[in-house]
Amino acid sequence: MENTVLKAEDFNAYFGQNQILKNIRLEIRKHQVWAVMGPSGCGKTTFIRCINRMHELTAGATVSGSLKLYGEDIYKMNPVLLRRKVGMVFQRPNPFPTMSIYDNVISGYLLNHIRLTKAQKDEIVESTLKRAALWLEVKSTLHKRGTFLSGGQQQRLCIARALAMNPEILLLDEPTSALDPISTAKVEELVYELKSEYTILIVTHNMQQAARVSDRTAFFFLGELIEQDDTKVIFTNPKNEKTQNYITGHFG
Amino acid sequence: MIQPKNKLTHLDNELHKLKAESIKMWALVLKQLHKSRTSLVNIDKDLAREVILSEKRVNAFELKIDRDCEDIFALFTPVAVDLRFLLAVLKINMNLERTGDNAETIAQSVVDLPAHFDRKLLEITRVVEMFDQANIMISDVMHAFDKEDTLIARKTFKKDDLLDEINDNSTAIITEYIASNLDKNLTGQALYIYSIIRKLERVGDQAKNIAEEIIFYSEAKVLKHQPKGKKSGLDE
Amino acid sequence: MVILLSLISTLPLLLILFYIFKKGISAINWHFLVSLPKPVGETGGGISNAIVGTLMLIGVAAVLAIPVGILIGIYLSETPKGRIAYNCRLAVDVLQGIPSIVIGIIIYEWVVVPMGGPSSFSGSIALGLMMLPAIIKSTEETLKLIPEALKESSLALGVPYYTTVLRVIVPSGMSGIMNGVLLSIARVVGETAPLLFTAFGNHWMNTNIFKPTSSLPLIIFKYATSPYTEGHKLAWGASLILIIMILVLNLITKLVERKWRTPF
Repeated sequence: MENTVLKAEDFNAYFGQNQILKNIRLEIRKHQVWAVMGPSGCGKTTFIRCINRMHELTAGATVSGSLKLYGEDIYKMNPVLLRRKVGMVFQRPNPFPTMSIYDNVISGYLLNHIRLTKAQKDEIVESTLKRAALWLEVKSTLHKRGTFLSGGQQQRLCIARALAMNPEILLLDEPTSALDPISTAKVEELVYELKSEYTILIVTHNMQQAARVSDRTAFFFLGELIEQDDTKVIFTNPKNEKTQNYITGHFG
Repeated sequence: MIQPKNKLTHLDNELHKLKAESIKMWALVLKQLHKSRTSLVNIDKDLAREVILSEKRVNAFELKIDRDCEDIFALFTPVAVDLRFLLAVLKINMNLERTGDNAETIAQSVVDLPAHFDRKLLEITRVVEMFDQANIMISDVMHAFDKEDTLIARKTFKKDDLLDEINDNSTAIITEYIASNLDKNLTGQALYIYSIIRKLERVGDQAKNIAEEIIFYSEAKVLKHQPKGKKSGLDE
Repeated sequence: MVILLSLISTLPLLLILFYIFKKGISAINWHFLVSLPKPVGETGGGISNAIVGTLMLIGVAAVLAIPVGILIGIYLSETPKGRIAYNCRLAVDVLQGIPSIVIGIIIYEWVVVPMGGPSSFSGSIALGLMMLPAIIKSTEETLKLIPEALKESSLALGVPYYTTVLRVIVPSGMSGIMNGVLLSIARVVGETAPLLFTAFGNHWMNTNIFKPTSSLPLIIFKYATSPYTEGHKLAWGASLILIIMILVLNLITKLVERKWRTPF
């Protein structure tokens, strides 16, 4: 079924003896924006880091169960190649400080020794920055260092950097937590626009953001996937009491 | 993708869609009113039955718009003018549905009119004139909503005067008619006309309510429960 | 109050500099810089071989110590825990504390004796050993300050681990690493004791690293301990040159650090 981008079946994750994720089952289709929300410590960040196998970089981290990307078992793939197919944007904007904006965008290619002609590079930089809604703001300063931009611009640069690799799924780990409200709004609008070309998974502890931005929402609590449904349903009429309690602010 | 400065956000798009849906419902309700009026003027019972059947669609619209408002509240937690707009749409929705109900009830009355209807009743009560004015009021507030023109909305309050006048006179006129025509048939007809007049009075009320909501959301001014002179804001 | 204290603390440095300047400036001229030393007791002569020797010693020491030091520093910053890393750090600390003359003796035993005689090369090894702790420590500290997020975002792009370290992390820390390197050079440029048994000194100009060589500290030592005033004058001149070299190195360090600093 080519429409299913990511499928998790009875997926578990551990840090040593601690079980962080319990029997996660979900299915993400193409061009959907999924929000993963829940209180601190519910396992949402762990889950997203399992998708690109960053979870196992921590000593003692293990997983069990099945997690597939377009039908291929993620844990049987070469992790480096997997990560080129999965784009990730982190909470704190972190463009590479020694590189210019131009180089930052194509850093995935540069650092992986993938040869590109100047024309190809120019094209990728321009089209990706346009898609990240940053082109107009930086097109005359492409050769300046990335760290001279404002926080919101840096984060859009990081998004462009991830998009440049044409990922099969884009993972956003609380991308606006460190940004001011205007930049946050801009990034949210960007996610809404990117939906038509990409499949996106956004982890957020801000449930209003989850409501504004996503088509489907998954609610995690203490490592379990409590409820997953259309965002409209979750926010107007959730089926699980825990979900309702969380959304109405009764805990977490 | 070029980013113009005043680009529409996701929420803006949803609000625009909601407005368009409301206008569609309005157009349907207006059509019901017009058909109802024509069926009364021509005592066209078939046309009246069409109105009764179409009432379902009005109800369906109401449910949909309610649900859409609920979704927008839940998903976007709007504030300020967006919040007022949504609250106004919810109330306007309710009023339009009742107007639709009224159009249907009037059509039902037409269907139930006994045979050999006395046209003189229509003339002396000026019920058609009242109907026309009520329809104009509903049409006016639709334009006011569409264009966000509070001036048009305010004029509605004055237009209601005519409805009040005809309504106030109707009791005396109909009582006179019944007294001078002691016929069961004619009395029945007069009572139907009386109830139609009452319904039209309510349509006028609904138009005024809608006008208040439009002014509320555009200007954040609450005009409910104010005396009439203050509402129109025009010099009397 | 603060200004007063700062002045007091800089005062000794200024006095020393002033004194050396006064005593040494009279010896400095072009001739001094480019000619070889005359036999002891004669007037004239210069320190050209000492200058060349110092540069040679430092140069080779840097080539030996810098790559090794940076790599060890990278290893330690990437391995916060573990027995090997713990023992490694311990070793670096101990090495830093070993007196320079002891290093000289050891290198004598390990390098000079097997090689059959003193050489600039053995001197460079001794100096290199002394440079290592400073380079390792500053590299480790600099890299530890780099936010983890930088490494993660590189790994998330599918960049393999070693490429990430070498092409993202290290370049980001280049300012601090260079700082450590330059400071370690400034420290060893004036070391005398380890050179006594290794480079040994040489009257003549020498550019072969496998032969003994003169250097500024050695020549200062030799002439300052000689009975001739002419020699003393040369010693002061050489001291001034040495001080100037150290000052310049420190200034370069500051400039490099500011220019290369990467904001996070």
